[in-house]
Amino acid sequence: MSAGSHKTYRIPIGPVHVGLKEPVTTWLDVDGERIVKATVRPGSIHRGIEWMARERNPIQVIYLAERICGICSFTHIVAFLRAVEDAAKIEVPIRAQYIRSLVLELERVHSHILWAGVACYTFGYDSAFNLGMLLREKVMDVLEALTGNRVNYGVGTVGGVRRDLTPRAAKAVREMIEFYRREFQTFLDVVTEDPIAKARMRNVGVLSQEDAVKYCALGPTARGSGLRVDLRHSSPYEAYGDLGVTPLVPQDYNGEVFGDVYDRFFVRVMEVIQSLELLEKIVDGIPEGPITWEPKLPKVLSALKAADGIGWGIIEGPRGDDTHVVKLTKGEENVTWWKVRAPTYANAVSWPLMFKDQEIADAPLIINSIDPCISCMERILVSDARAGRSEILTRARLVERCREKTRRLMGA
Amino acid sequence: MKLTRALEILPKSLWVFHCNSGSCNGCDIEIVATITPRYDIERFGMKLVGSPRHADVLLVTGPVTKYMTERLRRIYEQVPDPKVVIVVGNCGASGDVFYKSYSLDGPVDNIIPVDVYVHGCPPRPEAIIEGAAKAVLLLEKKREELLKAGASR
Amino acid sequence: MTCRPQYVQECKCPDEVMNCIRETLGECLLEMELRERMDGMPRRVLYRDLWIRLKRDGFLKLVDRLMEIDFLHFHVMSGNDDGDVVTLNLHCSLFREAGAGHRLGVTLSIPIPKDDLVFPSLSGRIPGTEYSEREMREMLGIHFEGLQNTDLLFLPENWDEEIKPWRRDETGPAPENIRELS
Repeated sequence: MSAGSHKTYRIPIGPVHVGLKEPVTTWLDVDGERIVKATVRPGSIHRGIEWMARERNPIQVIYLAERICGICSFTHIVAFLRAVEDAAKIEVPIRAQYIRSLVLELERVHSHILWAGVACYTFGYDSAFNLGMLLREKVMDVLEALTGNRVNYGVGTVGGVRRDLTPRAAKAVREMIEFYRREFQTFLDVVTEDPIAKARMRNVGVLSQEDAVKYCALGPTARGSGLRVDLRHSSPYEAYGDLGVTPLVPQDYNGEVFGDVYDRFFVRVMEVIQSLELLEKIVDGIPEGPITWEPKLPKVLSALKAADGIGWGIIEGPRGDDTHVVKLTKGEENVTWWKVRAPTYANAVSWPLMFKDQEIADAPLIINSIDPCISCMERILVSDARAGRSEILTRARLVERCREKTRRLMGA
Repeated sequence: MKLTRALEILPKSLWVFHCNSGSCNGCDIEIVATITPRYDIERFGMKLVGSPRHADVLLVTGPVTKYMTERLRRIYEQVPDPKVVIVVGNCGASGDVFYKSYSLDGPVDNIIPVDVYVHGCPPRPEAIIEGAAKAVLLLEKKREELLKAGASR
Repeated sequence: MTCRPQYVQECKCPDEVMNCIRETLGECLLEMELRERMDGMPRRVLYRDLWIRLKRDGFLKLVDRLMEIDFLHFHVMSGNDDGDVVTLNLHCSLFREAGAGHRLGVTLSIPIPKDDLVFPSLSGRIPGTEYSEREMREMLGIHFEGLQNTDLLFLPENWDEEIKPWRRDETGPAPENIRELS
């Protein structure tokens, strides 16, 4: 890099980016290794789900909502169901509320561990990635024991849940809690105590507290910037009112807040431990009773056909708050309109801020840090318009760059 | 498949390029689960690669959005022959819940030729491994055909 | 306009907020409803949602007034083609950081006549609204005054911008724009 040259290069990242409903093509304008500006263009995975729902009744939409995102599928269902139940004034039995909270917390555990593992992979810490993925299989087993599926559980229905928590499943949950209390600390130590891992995450992709407010950041991204915001605390839903959740922020543990990738990492891994406590409370305190408001599907459908109004469901998913709004019209079987706002939709707005003045090598990590599931950059095209040459940077080479930086830091 | 035949083929490991064309991510995390310690398909030398030019197999998930159609075609063309395309998940095979939309061009076989379908929403890692096993055989067959046709090794 | 990028730590009671809204909007207020969201054991009110229907003229005045109470956290916009009007709903919340159960969900519904589909942009006041405004522009054809970036957000690059996917009238997608996969 010759000093004094101030050419900016434009690097597209994407569009193949294993995201949620909103995977992103990102354009980075770079001066040398420094990112000057970032432009984000989502849309490659826009399937028109909200439009499809106009031709389906609320029960059918459940299975569509589940497939908005395969990682936080239950989060989407519960948010959708709460919106429908709000519009149709349906009361959910208390046992069903506890089971919903149980599955939500299990989902949070698997999502956070997945994210933490992938973040390690991004900066070349493959052993931690494999350790994380190995640990994650335990919660997948429990989800399978509870619901019959590893992903897209299909347990939610209007007015309750479709599967009860059997004593056997409860035992599996307890065993899982024990397992993680024993094993998860190892993962936490190998990453948070590792000087290289810390160096790769500290002061990278900073989002200040003020910007987090202005750009409406959510979930661990907002909490990583020090905001005490958590819907499980500020507007409790389902069983969370009884469980007592306090928002987890880095300043309570480390004394200060940086708002960087490390803080977001820290918040997520600590939330896994918080979730274990919540799971224990749920399994201990789950009351007896029915699990649906009305087990006969035709009756549910006729109640929904008679309902009229707009409902709003908003819950704290693994990545932030998930908002669903549903309009039901009297006399119509189908959903009139439906709006979904998955958390990345809001968090991606603050992406350009995090990229500013960072190195290209950190770009994959920053993209990952808001947890758009697995970051899967297909390839990158570096083009120098003035020299008229272009070079294809594969994802492999991008990750290689990221790892080279780790090796540099290690002094190897 | 005869065991001896399987053993002849197995050492030729598959390199896989994964393209998400609009999937919900459910299949994609199951693919990650397939390559990580529990299912560990990497022990057979099979791994995900970062560029289609290095791949033998193209793994496609999702119902193909309009935004991705052209990109999927380009990725397919970059994979060198002989190649096998595996579709993972129901929505890539038939559209499934996304059966009607203004922004979809799928299913995948509407865009590029598909050799193996792995069904499920999402399929279990075991099913993905089975799909990969079928791809090994197909790839071998295609290689032999190319050799017969006179292509150099 | 006061725009403090921080949240208040103490909430006001919903009645106080409602009085404030009535005062600010006056004639422009069409409807207001406070919904209590009950859950838990025993079943009790865990949080509240406020649903407000108002005229477009009172919108900016109301947003500025709410911003004085707390930095309005914006969730999303939803909208629907209701025949002569397009109804735009803004889903926001107040008192996000003000303690357990104190968050107040606020929905602002504004009918916009189809022959004058113009709406003031909030992106100067709340930068987080940018994506939603771009989405509503491409899906429903609402023109946001003051929105800098009007590139397509979700639709593919070669999309015919005359077609507004969520509209139910002649500007919506025609049968030939829709593909049946199976």
